[in-house]
Amino acid sequence: MAVDAKKLQKDLAKIVGKEYVFTDRPTSLAYAKDTMPWDVEKHNMPHAVVRPVNSHEISLILQYANQKKIPVHIHGSATSLVGLGRPKAHCIVLDTGRMKTLEVFPERGYFEVGPGYHIGKLRKALAPYNALLPAFPGSELIATIGGFVSVNTSAHAVDAALFKPGDYVLGMEVVLPTGEILQTGTESTRKPAGIEVTKFFVGSEGLWCVITKIRMRLIPLPYLKNIVAYYKRTDDILNTVMAMYKQGMPTPMFFEYLDEKSSKIGFEAVGLKAPPGAVAMMAIHSSTQAGCDEKAKNFLEFLEVGNPIESKIVTDKKEWDQIWSSRAEAGNYIYRLGSTFGSEITVRTDKLKEAFHEARDIILNLDSYQGNEFFSFGHIGAPTIHAYAFIPTKDIPNEVKIAVAQEVRGKTEDLNIKYGGCGGEWGLTAQRAPFLKKKYGQTYYDLLVKLKKTLDPNNILNRGNLEGWM
Amino acid sequence: MSQKEAAKEMLLEEIAKCRACRFCVDVCPTYQASDGVESMSAYGRLQILKYLIRGTLIFDDALAYLLYSCLQCRRCEVTCQSKGQNLDICRIIQSGRHLLSQNLVEGRKSERI
Repeated sequence: MAVDAKKLQKDLAKIVGKEYVFTDRPTSLAYAKDTMPWDVEKHNMPHAVVRPVNSHEISLILQYANQKKIPVHIHGSATSLVGLGRPKAHCIVLDTGRMKTLEVFPERGYFEVGPGYHIGKLRKALAPYNALLPAFPGSELIATIGGFVSVNTSAHAVDAALFKPGDYVLGMEVVLPTGEILQTGTESTRKPAGIEVTKFFVGSEGLWCVITKIRMRLIPLPYLKNIVAYYKRTDDILNTVMAMYKQGMPTPMFFEYLDEKSSKIGFEAVGLKAPPGAVAMMAIHSSTQAGCDEKAKNFLEFLEVGNPIESKIVTDKKEWDQIWSSRAEAGNYIYRLGSTFGSEITVRTDKLKEAFHEARDIILNLDSYQGNEFFSFGHIGAPTIHAYAFIPTKDIPNEVKIAVAQEVRGKTEDLNIKYGGCGGEWGLTAQRAPFLKKKYGQTYYDLLVKLKKTLDPNNILNRGNLEGWM
Repeated sequence: MSQKEAAKEMLLEEIAKCRACRFCVDVCPTYQASDGVESMSAYGRLQILKYLIRGTLIFDDALAYLLYSCLQCRRCEVTCQSKGQNLDICRIIQSGRHLLSQNLVEGRKSERI
């Protein structure tokens, strides 16, 4: 449907004020691009970017969009790694960036935050309350809490130790796709039992609602003790993770690893001597210092199961900061040196090693590109295998990038299906919509479509994500 | 290839390194002053420049304002160096301005560079 840009601007300006509506192409383009390694295409270009400040304005925008049948794409910070952040149709981009109120109520045991608050800033703001924010993305600097709750991801944290952010959400204010404003949940720290819709909106990836306020538990900050372990091979780390679950060991809050190649890059990047092989880093948590010390000692003993070359508790902060940052730096350097195509494989814990080997074979034998390398690092304790295809140049045509991304995504997701997993941090729509059908079947997918139609009869919100996009 | 074409190619190669991670946006003073408009950030300017050079965008008042409002403070570069792709963002934006300026001086409006 043809949209009159001037009229659209005028109509939206009546709702949010003219300084918060943008119809210039440069601004639309900046909002259309996401982390996907290929360019914005014509159909990604929005008609306008609108920046509301509260739920009332969002309600009016959605009522208007329904009336005019214009899709609305919700924008947090577009850091999704599966294309959730890119508009899939000519639309109004609804930027939640101005919605960043924060009220902390220690006497009630929770805080209330607007969806546009950046994770890194929120963590700092909660520090005086000795509170833990259960979200640890690599994109912490810019990722928003609204995006996090709408995908329900704890990112780097080990779910078995910390659960998902949604488990700590007590209630929300949301605007339905047709413009109604809902309050959900409770102001008590005890969550409702039985039928209650907060959990229906948490993790709904912008399909059911726009989240406009999140009420979340203040979680006491745990004590942490850090362990590093050096191994000859990545397989030793995989054996350790499998044994951890099999033996019922308390899982660390973080359990990261670098494979043999990534560890060299990461360690050298932070000024450390290259390790002899793969490296695992763990943060053991407990509510008391004594408990933490004991758990760390027990875990160190347990690590012998994987035959490490060396494993030790690291108490020196500077040393730990260097070791810990080598994980992020490995990623940064690999991204800098070429083009990287990632995957998210979260299989049954007893199949971890098998799946890892298959993932490596898939990456090293791509049909869409020959001569790429294989890297792997990330949250193995979760367990998540991030298997990366690395091509040592950025100068690749768009169509090749898309083909490689599709092949890596499709084949590694077949591993998720084969070994009983479904991913655990990147969300399940946009690029992953075909996986949803494959994994759970047509009836499951049809149910999602029915729910979407019930809540959003004109398919206004985040159009294209549930339909699938690549 | 003309000197101008070669300069464009070099710039495109540099900009291609940007992963659109957006880690640089929050430290940008013009992004902060605009209360978070992404086209007013280093990331936004790199994207704009890329599509301007490719001819997807034409230069107009909005685009010229976005490119010339960069303060060249290099705060984005500190972030890009530690968390991103280690790009010389301010130099890239300056080069883009240079390409744009020739057209602006000649009084041309709404054209491709």
